[in-house]
Parts: sequence; structure tokens; C-alpha cells
Amino acid sequence: MDTMAMKRALTRITYEIIERNRGVEDLVIIGIKTRGVFLAQRIAERLKQLENVEVPVGELNVTAYRDDIHQLDSDPNLPGKPHFEFSLEGKKVILVDDVLYTGRTIRAAMDAIMDIGRPKRINLAILVDRGHRELPIRADFVGKNIPTAQNEKIEVSVSEIDEEDSVKIVNGK
Amino acid sequence: MSERYLILDDGTVYRGQAFGSPATTFGEVVFNTSATGYQQIITNQIYHNQIIVFSQPSIGGYGIDRASYESIEPTCKGVIVRDVADVSTNRQRRLSLDEFLKIQNIPGISGIDTRALIHKLRAKGTVKGSIVDPVKDLAHAFDQLNAIVLTNQQVSQVSTPKAYPNPGTGLNVVVVDLGLKHGILRQLSQRNCNVTVLPYSCTAEQIFDLDPDGVILSTGPGSPTDLPKSLTDMIAEVEQRIPLFAIGLGHELFAMANGAKVKPLQFEHHGDNHPILSIITDEIFYASQGQGYTVDRESINRDKMLTTHIDLVDQSVQGLRHRDFPAFSVQFFPDGAPGQLESSELFDEFIEIMTTRMER
Repeated sequence: MDTMAMKRALTRITYEIIERNRGVEDLVIIGIKTRGVFLAQRIAERLKQLENVEVPVGELNVTAYRDDIHQLDSDPNLPGKPHFEFSLEGKKVILVDDVLYTGRTIRAAMDAIMDIGRPKRINLAILVDRGHRELPIRADFVGKNIPTAQNEKIEVSVSEIDEEDSVKIVNGK
Repeated sequence: MSERYLILDDGTVYRGQAFGSPATTFGEVVFNTSATGYQQIITNQIYHNQIIVFSQPSIGGYGIDRASYESIEPTCKGVIVRDVADVSTNRQRRLSLDEFLKIQNIPGISGIDTRALIHKLRAKGTVKGSIVDPVKDLAHAFDQLNAIVLTNQQVSQVSTPKAYPNPGTGLNVVVVDLGLKHGILRQLSQRNCNVTVLPYSCTAEQIFDLDPDGVILSTGPGSPTDLPKSLTDMIAEVEQRIPLFAIGLGHELFAMANGAKVKPLQFEHHGDNHPILSIITDEIFYASQGQGYTVDRESINRDKMLTTHIDLVDQSVQGLRHRDFPAFSVQFFPDGAPGQLESSELFDEFIEIMTTRMER
């Protein structure tokens, strides 16, 4: 996936979000750190262009909610409850991440969101779905399905922090 | 070379030299500002019953290329140029423009002051004209020109009478032929689509019976308001069930099917030099255009449709998208035949829309 394909995928996802939500009312977009945040911002920019409405964008760090971190070894440096500048009460949340793999990150993100509010619903937008789910989770908006082997890795780069916009399959051992 | 005249319905006579066929023809005179791509323009069926004036002063320099036809039998009524190149230097060329127009029975005139002619066309809008032999008394020719009524049933004359396949092994796409340009089929072939082309009179039921992944409404000649209402009814039904991509005349019909109005353009767009804004990404690109009508921006129901593309020269609507269904349209020609290929990724977008729906 190159710059053009990535641009096209985000454009299509944006139109699908409008289609599925019948507009942008009550919409908030939450990007999962790190790259999900930039993708969330890009979707919000597109919505602004089309509808002339600023859709709130939040950043979510799910580390504290990961299922491989337990109370016992809780680290004082872990981020606590997430905080957003806006309320999630009754909102339609679009959760955005770059790669959907086991589904554990998304599970953690949902827990984090539920911890601070009760949105009307949560939808998931993902740039790449690589399969191998370990939880019953499924994306509502998919940029591209890329079937992978377990030992392969998907490397997403975004121009905001990486050198380019690209999605690459990297061979593992 | 023998002399020939272009006469206009306001009484003007332009004297020039004949090339192409010696036929006498009538048509609406339109001008095209593209610098290259005369073959694709002449063979584009949107010029059915029209006489094309090229603003580019030298036409024919690379002859006729076997891979650049936009229709098998072009239906334009004449070609007016400042200068026709008699030497063609395309190494693939088999025919010169002159030979090609003779075969196709289309007359041409060179040596015309195309700048003056285009000035007039811009000032007057729609002008009827005729290409005639040089006779002393042109009164008869003018009588005939004034008497002729150009058909408004162009689509029925250029659309295929029967369905035909353009096989591939990928996604199944139905193309509704309103005066199709080959560029659309070429783009679908490149993406390995299995295409069925249907006549413009096809029904929604006939489309559903083919169970396609997507439907394309093609480009075509004339005014969408002269077409039967059954076409817009068909579109309104199809868009709810199958991803839809509409181009040119198809775009105008798609807009009408969703309640918008279409009006004649004061200055028609025939060329490839208008910057077009893609609103969602705030980017500008160029594409070839051929339109005498435009969707009235004020008439678009914003709860139903999004405007996606704008012509930055006159702010006219160049693209629409349905809010509730995966259906979108563009006024310009995204197939890059002729002209820039930068908007051909709309076909990729269409493929991705169809694929996503299949995977769901």
C-alpha cells in the first residue's frame, strides 16, 4: 500500500462513516496511539472538508488496560484513566487504529472508553486488517484486508512521524 | 486541395480547404481546447451530430493510432482546424487524419481562422453549422441549414442496440451504454473486470438479473432532460442495491434521479485545462471534459447528496456522492482518454467499494 492507496482508503472510510451514520452528528473520533491518532486526524480533516464541521478527535493510550499487565506488577509510570476534552456520553465513537490483529488492543480501548463514559455506540475503523483474531472483534470500516502469516509483520508508516505513507509486510523469522 | 465552406446559421461563411470526406453535413458547432488527443475527441460519441473546432492550431501531427479509438464508428459531423498536418510521425500510425476521416465519411476543413470562429462561438453559445461545397449562390445551402432540425435523440442513436460482454475474470460490472467511450472499458479491463454492456433502455430488473458487483453509467451525448424518465427511475432503484459510478451524461442523470436539476452551461467545457478540486482531500487535478450541461448546484438536496468535486474556473459541480448509498459520480472523464490519468484512481476507488462489500 503506497501513499495513493492509503489516501484512497481513508477517503473511502470517511465516506462510509458518513453513509453509515447518516451525517456527522454526535460523532467523535478516537485514535489509538501512536499511528491511529494520525489516521483519526486525517479522517477528521476529511469530514471537515466535506461537512464543514469539526468532529472532536481524542488520543487514547491503552497501555493501562492491556490484558498482559496486571494489578500486581502495576507500574506507577503507567498512564491512568484516559481523559478527553469532550464527553463521550451518548456519542457515536469511531475508534481508529492502523492494524487489526489479535483484537486485544481494541478490547483494551473499549474498556478504557467504557471506564469514562457510556457512548451510544462504538464503531471500529482500521487501515489494515491482517487476520488472526484472538477475540470476537470485527472492524466496521476497513482500508484493506491483507491476509498474513503469523510470523509476518505489518509495518504501517505515516508521514507525520515516519518518512512516508506506506504499509509493508515484513517477513519474520 | 479543393475549397470548402463552413456556413453558420447567423449567415457567416468561412472559406477553407477540404480534407477528409467530401460529404455535406449539418451539426452544432462546438470548440475543443485540448492541445493533444484529437483522435480520442473525434471518436468520442459525445460529439454525435456536432462539428468540432480545434483551438490547437495544428492537428493531425501524429496520425491515427490503433489504440486510441473511443468508438468504432465516430458520429461527429465535421472537423475544423487551422492547419492539418500532412506528415504524421507516430511510428504506430497506419492512417493520417485525412485518410481516417475519408474512411469514416466525416468532412474536414483546414485553413480557417479558428480564433475568430471560437470568439464567435463563445459569444453566441449554440450555433448550427454546415460544411458545404463552394458554390456561387449559397442561398440554397443556408435554406437547408435553417430548415434542418438536429435530433435530440442522440443517445438512442449511439447506444448499443444489444447487450454484449467484455469478459474478464475479476469483479462483475454492468456498464449502461449512453454513448460509451472506450476509455471506460479500457480502465475496467486493466482492473480485470468481467463487464456486460447493456443498452441505455435496460431496466433495473435486467441489471439485477445479472447480479453485478457494480454498475457504471457511461458518458454520452446530448441533454439528460431529453431522455425518458424510465432511466432516472432505473437509477433510483439500482443505487439502493448496487454500488454505482456515473460519468458525464451518467452523472447528470444520477443527479436528476436524486432530485437535482440540470441546466445548459453558458460556456460549454470541451478541453482538458480546467483545474478540478477534490473537496475531501483539498487537492487539485486536471481531467478532460466534454459537457454542454451542468448540475445546478442550488438544486442539490444536501441531505441526500454531497458535492465532492468543483470546477475551479466556473465553480460548476464536477462530482457528487450519495449520502446513504455507495453511489458517486463525476462530470469530467476520469479515463484519461485523452488527457491526464490522475483521476483514473476513481476506478480504483470503485473497485475497492465493490470489494469491501463483497468481503463483508
